[in-house]
Amino acid sequence: MVFVFLFLMATLGLVIDALFGVFPFGTILLIFIALIQILAGVSSGPALVLRSINSRKINEKSFEEKQLKNIVEELTIAAGLEKAPEVYVMEDENINAFATGFKAKKSAVCVTSGLLKHLNREETEGVIAHEISHIKNKDTLLMTTISAILGTMILVQLFAWRSLKFLLWSNRGRRSSKKKDSGVGYIIVALLILALVATLFSLIGRISIFAVSRTREYLADAKAVELTRNPKGLSGALRKIAKMRKSKGKVKNATIATAHLFISDPLKRSVNNKEGFFANLFGTHPPIHKRIALLENVPEEIVLKELQEG
Amino acid sequence: MVVVGIVVAIVLIVLFWFVGTYNSLVSKKKRVENAWSQIDVQLKRRHDLIPNLVNAVKGYMKYERETLEAVINARAKAVAGGSIDDRIKAEGELSGALSRLLAVFERYPELKSNEQVKQLMEELTSTENRITYARQFYNDTVMKYNTSIEMFPTNLVAKMFNFKPFVFFEAAAAEKETPKVELTF
Repeated sequence: MVFVFLFLMATLGLVIDALFGVFPFGTILLIFIALIQILAGVSSGPALVLRSINSRKINEKSFEEKQLKNIVEELTIAAGLEKAPEVYVMEDENINAFATGFKAKKSAVCVTSGLLKHLNREETEGVIAHEISHIKNKDTLLMTTISAILGTMILVQLFAWRSLKFLLWSNRGRRSSKKKDSGVGYIIVALLILALVATLFSLIGRISIFAVSRTREYLADAKAVELTRNPKGLSGALRKIAKMRKSKGKVKNATIATAHLFISDPLKRSVNNKEGFFANLFGTHPPIHKRIALLENVPEEIVLKELQEG
Repeated sequence: MVVVGIVVAIVLIVLFWFVGTYNSLVSKKKRVENAWSQIDVQLKRRHDLIPNLVNAVKGYMKYERETLEAVINARAKAVAGGSIDDRIKAEGELSGALSRLLAVFERYPELKSNEQVKQLMEELTSTENRITYARQFYNDTVMKYNTSIEMFPTNLVAKMFNFKPFVFFEAAAAEKETPKVELTF
């Protein structure tokens, strides 16, 4: 993944060089940006995320938290991972959890205190199995790499539009020399193409991030059932999450940047609970009633009705 | 010249395929062995846990000596070891005795309120889960390995180097009969 990213960046650099004839400046610059992004992502990833949402390590003297640690270790065995992820707790009334880390060996699982309070052992097992599946499937690495590519696209897009604006603005009064004009015109056209391509890419990038995030949620649900051989735990947990959605607010300290890591959307954006063209393109999580319906193998309309009544 | 080149190319491709297949079989076999040793680790954990548990609940369970003794005896047998078949059987008996103990435990509300017992019961539940998962993972790895040594054309390499299929870890008969206990803390 990392190499694909580097390769993409280098290609983009070459394209820029070819357009402006400034080889090898563009290539070197973009590879440099890519390396910095990768290093920043890999070195401070889990630690940074865990700090940004204000979580703490578990206290093994507390019964619930020791039980949580046990569950994480059990499912580590089930998934055949070498080392159990670190376990963290964040103080929040909501029921939610997320996993982070680029390597299975250096990963972490974090749950809210609301989850410890409201879910029983079976349901917690389901949620942790979902998170362990994310780690096993290397979803964090995938999502971070896609985010990094997207970030670069946005950078290129901004740079291209800005310089285009600047060139057009500074070129207004000077129409005298024809020779110079054709050179500037060439650059303007090239910049315009670059800007359009980058804009298109970043839009596609955004849509594909959401699509990947949604598919990965379904995949982790399925893998969780494969690990626990029990769909009831996870579906029970999702039901409780759906019920609490209405009464409680957003998860504190969660941002758009970290939302896709959680088991259910911590920001409770309404787009994630709707269907239709827009929601299918821009939701980070699949609608919760759809996930429950798949786990319990019943039609989704029935689950939706039950949730609305309960 | 061209013919020789083609022949050399084909021989090289076959050779590379051979080496690749052999190595992947070896790594799959190692994975199975590793999964097996995981089961051992968890069984050992269970043996270590039982004396503490027995000491903690002894005082409360005056009328349940039999259940408790069954656990102690089954543990002694399992620790004694022997052939793999003997051990699997002994561990099966131990699982059965433990799940009966967990069921009995439900009948003693004063036990549930004891913090130490509660902790130990959680450890026991966790250990039982770990054993189940270790076994499940072992069986999954065995299935992948067994499938690959039987599939064509990998089976040619497997036969040549005598890769034997592994046996699945079936739950012992004693375990299957015991009712499933739902624990809610």
